[in-house]
Amino acid sequence: MWFILPIIGLILGIYLGSNITFQLPAIYIKYMSIAVLASLDSVFGGIKAVLKNNFDGTILLSGFFTNALLAALLAYLGDRLGVDLYYAAIFAFGVRIFQNLATIRHHVITNLRQRKALARGEKNE
Amino acid sequence: MRKFILPLTIVCIISGFFLAFQFKIQTNTTSFDAVSQKNANLINVIQSLEQEIESQEDQIAAMRNQLNEIQNQNNRGKLQDLQQELIRAKINAGLTSVIGKGIVITLDDNKEGLNAAPNDDPNKYIIHYEHILNLVNELKIGGAEAISVNGQRLITTSEIRCVGNLILINMSRIAPPFVISAIGSPKLMLESVSMGQLELLKSAQYPITVEEKEELIIPAYKGELQFNSAVSQ
Repeated sequence: MWFILPIIGLILGIYLGSNITFQLPAIYIKYMSIAVLASLDSVFGGIKAVLKNNFDGTILLSGFFTNALLAALLAYLGDRLGVDLYYAAIFAFGVRIFQNLATIRHHVITNLRQRKALARGEKNE
Repeated sequence: MRKFILPLTIVCIISGFFLAFQFKIQTNTTSFDAVSQKNANLINVIQSLEQEIESQEDQIAAMRNQLNEIQNQNNRGKLQDLQQELIRAKINAGLTSVIGKGIVITLDDNKEGLNAAPNDDPNKYIIHYEHILNLVNELKIGGAEAISVNGQRLITTSEIRCVGNLILINMSRIAPPFVISAIGSPKLMLESVSMGQLELLKSAQYPITVEEKEELIIPAYKGELQFNSAVSQ
């Protein structure tokens, strides 16, 4: 069961996040929401890569950090310029999350069908 | 252990952390807006300024005590008359704490009334500065010789002024419950107030108590006293 350790990690992260007493200044809440989206995007991207058998840890982690940094930079630039550029980051991450989810769904369903078909085939023989 | 488990776990930990943290922030500050943040800063500024005022008032009080000591030192001959006059003038000006019989009126907002009618205009249930102003005025008519509201001695330059949901007296912010102490003839003062504002407030069901006291202490005025334009003629 390869997904147990990541799930334990997720629970550990939630536990840490809900127990931390650190107060974030109000201006950074916007950046925080982008970070949430970037990390979610990385999680789904990672699962997709695992299912497609082209997983690379370095690419996943570097992608996560550069994406988050770029998004934060965009949000900061938008703040300076008076344009809500962070919507662009939210939009991009949102679209990617949906695409990754769609790929994962396709993969899982086709896998299940193949297994069923195989099982039926074995029975018939 | 397959190679993807460790990076995926790391990303999952970070993601869970961010999710929970963001969730906590959002639930903590559902009604968050920039104005309240600014208000918090302003409150800090006000509080630090008030502390400064307090320490400076203490300094003024210490200096006045010192001055009193010096004035009391050489009490020989002619000076004695002058000194007595000085003490009288100080009592009149409200620069000494005074003791005597008098009354204490305690007022508070009509919270029960407001709770019973939450949709009603809350202005009808809180104590306004006019109420205090009228009460003080009536106490003066009743012959009050020294008056303080929540420990703020009223002198000739004292203001009673509305500042939002607080009242400003001697430039100090005063909040309910309001305790008005007055030294003078309790009978006369009671008669004076009970014919006017006090009855109105009682009929509006504000929680009010009036006490007669044999020994009432009213503190001295703590603020500054400076006459820049007025000179004695």
